[in-house]
Amino acid sequence: MSFITAKNLTRRYDLSDPWIVRQLTFRPKRFLTAVNDVSFSVEKGTTYALVGESGSGKSTIAKMAVGLLAPSAGTITLDNHNLNDPNLSPQNQQSMRRRIQMVFQSPYASLNPRWRVGDILAEPIQSFDLIKGAKNQAKRVDELLEQVGLSPSDAKKYPHEFSGGQRQRISIARALSSQPEVIICDEPTSALDVSVQAQVLNLLKSLQKEFSLTYLFITHDLAVVSSVANRIGVLNKGALVEEASPKELFINPKQDYTRMLLNAAPKML
Amino acid sequence: MSQPLLEVKNISVEFKTRGGALKAVDDLSIDVQPGEILGLVGESGAGKSMMGAAILGLIDPPGRLSEGEIWFNGRRIDQNPETLRGCEISMIFQDPLVSLNPLKKIGDQLVETILRHKQMSRTQAIDRARKGLLEVGIDPERLNAYPHTFSGGMRQRVVIALALAPEPSLIIADEPTTALDVSVQAQILELLKKLCRSRGTSIILITHDMGVISETADRVGVLYAGRLAEIGSTNQVLRSSQHPYTQGLVASTPKIDPSSFGQSLYQIPGSMPKLDAIPTGCAFHPRCTQGTVKCSQERPPMMKNAAACWLLEETRQGI
Repeated sequence: MSFITAKNLTRRYDLSDPWIVRQLTFRPKRFLTAVNDVSFSVEKGTTYALVGESGSGKSTIAKMAVGLLAPSAGTITLDNHNLNDPNLSPQNQQSMRRRIQMVFQSPYASLNPRWRVGDILAEPIQSFDLIKGAKNQAKRVDELLEQVGLSPSDAKKYPHEFSGGQRQRISIARALSSQPEVIICDEPTSALDVSVQAQVLNLLKSLQKEFSLTYLFITHDLAVVSSVANRIGVLNKGALVEEASPKELFINPKQDYTRMLLNAAPKML
Repeated sequence: MSQPLLEVKNISVEFKTRGGALKAVDDLSIDVQPGEILGLVGESGAGKSMMGAAILGLIDPPGRLSEGEIWFNGRRIDQNPETLRGCEISMIFQDPLVSLNPLKKIGDQLVETILRHKQMSRTQAIDRARKGLLEVGIDPERLNAYPHTFSGGMRQRVVIALALAPEPSLIIADEPTTALDVSVQAQILELLKKLCRSRGTSIILITHDMGVISETADRVGVLYAGRLAEIGSTNQVLRSSQHPYTQGLVASTPKIDPSSFGQSLYQIPGSMPKLDAIPTGCAFHPRCTQGTVKCSQERPPMMKNAAACWLLEETRQGI
């Protein structure tokens, strides 16, 4: 059964000059279509990867999936609930947001440098009111840290005391803290070294098995995709040009654009 | 073997801190042949960029070159690198947005670079700048454009034109494609390779991406914690790595290989040591799966097959 469904998803950005400038120069309004009529569906407990170059609309789709941006047309639904439905009650919206979390690209920018790790991890628990009592919350924070391979004593430290890979583990723990069903990973390893990247990718995989998480994985690195994804969607200039399983895509790519991407990826001897 | 273009002999870069001197580069030797592309790989903090900075004399205080010698074309340059910096040895940095002056037209930046290093008139220099842009695939008419009007890949092309303008014999490229897309990365590497091959310019390519190395470099040096772990031809280092660290790096790089889809990646346990806590003996021994007692006590020298690892000595003795 499909869990995340995007139907004819479109997002346009208005790049027009201010009204008065348009009147004076007789220029019409200008729009940029960042995402153009994209449809895909993701099964529960699987990983769907969106691949494309900068400007192909990957991150725009991610933002629409978590409800940070409204689509201009079309819908993206999670378990048949539409996150951007204006009729959705605030309570329902809140409970939807709990079920979908995000891991960002740079662990250097996505953690508040003035907060202790324990507070960073406890914030979702408190704001969704999942666990009552400071003691129980602290216990949950310790548990989360252990799940991502850090130690409970790390809760008292600040983000700057950790390396890039450890910080990305903290980001993952924060995403897990609201007990989500879906995690959107927006280039989670592109700021990391190869050996650390392998550790983080393996961690994401083992967490997926443990909590039957569904991942929407956004990246430009085809090699990374090949090791994590169950299905891959290739984006070019906002449109989904090809969708296939890794085997089909890498052995027999149908589109010229996909072939170009595959040829461009640096190969090991 | 001909005389190497660049010889780095046992250099160390030290940072004085309250807790004592920290060595970012520790007793490292490397040479570059004329016309060769030498890759330097390693993770963050391995000392790769510090190597590049040391060659150009660009180490910021409190860091300093505490030991060793750097020879370029038969001249010792570690005491006065300014004479060669920019003209004989030029540098390409990671982020083209930072290395270009946003307030100056790219033409002016090119002309300034050419006039600084070559004796010629302004008109001649502008002519040269046009040729330079044409070579890197940019319309010479854009001489009067500002850097912000170019895309990332185009900017990096401008930076390459800038680096090649004084006709250097060595270019140090520090992660030149990390900020770029895969398809643009392929173009830029191809361009850099082509231009340097046709002029016989050597390149030191600093990167953390094994894929980039395998496609571009002739020889590779693998750095770990400021030390050279292994060096050899690209083929040899990537296909039959001798050092356990290199083996781990190669194995943990994701590959597009149908047999490995959905499989877990190999991971090297632990992480790179901090500079103030570099283990005794071989710096890699706490993470090494095959370490022996000797590894934790004595620092391994470069063995004959060009890797610094005690295991290789033992296998030799075994035979």
